[in-house]
Amino acid sequence: MSDYRRSQNEAHPNKTNTLMTGIILLLILFVSIQIWFLFGALNNALRENLAFAITTFVGSFILALASFWVLRYLPDPIRSEKGKAPERKDL
Amino acid sequence: MKDEKYEKIPNWKSDFPIERKEATHVSRREFAKYLGLLSGALAIGNGGIVIKSLYFPAEELKGEHYVCNQSDVPVGEMFQFSIEGSEIIPYILIHLEENEWRAYEQKCTHLACAVRYRADLDKIECPCHKGYFNPRTGDVLQGPPPRPLPQLEVVLKENQVFVKAKEPNKIV
Repeated sequence: MSDYRRSQNEAHPNKTNTLMTGIILLLILFVSIQIWFLFGALNNALRENLAFAITTFVGSFILALASFWVLRYLPDPIRSEKGKAPERKDL
Repeated sequence: MKDEKYEKIPNWKSDFPIERKEATHVSRREFAKYLGLLSGALAIGNGGIVIKSLYFPAEELKGEHYVCNQSDVPVGEMFQFSIEGSEIIPYILIHLEENEWRAYEQKCTHLACAVRYRADLDKIECPCHKGYFNPRTGDVLQGPPPRPLPQLEVVLKENQVFVKAKEPNKIV
């Protein structure tokens, strides 16, 4: 049976790798900004600066949602070669 | 039949793959998921700060607290004391000049090291990272501390020294 996904993967073998790297870099960026927010909130909000704490919390929450959303696009794991080998023989 | 056999890999087996390619791939997936988890944890932490400052604000010091007699602390000297409330907070009392007293929290605002008054420099020094504070206002003069030292108001009564919470916006 013709398999569009498989032939596309064979034509662009680095695609999964690039996608994974992109997602991880994006996640690292989100987490870095969140650490910055948390550091700022700890420094300011502990001195009764509530507006800053709320603003950073909203920003951090949106970034967390973005992080979860980006995880949807994680490529599926590559199946083991053992699983694929007999399939090819059958074809 | 063969397909079904190969597709149904038990979880314990897929958790410990044998082939290198498969193993590195799975660990990157998990790394990305852990980053997502960390992101959520940081957002919760930030929310915790909001909840703390909304519902559990720092308790103000109530009433006047006796520290020592005026004659116990000569000019240019510092006196250490602590006040027990919900937690024990260490303070320092500084006798700057005749009838000029200041009281500050002893914890440096950088990493909570104990600060001390240096009469030779006329500065409050944090010896850990060489942070310096103005002994008259508590403001940061130099070094890593991000905020001024929290200050108490000193009340003098009949040769005795008392401290109380500083009223906001009151210039001493």
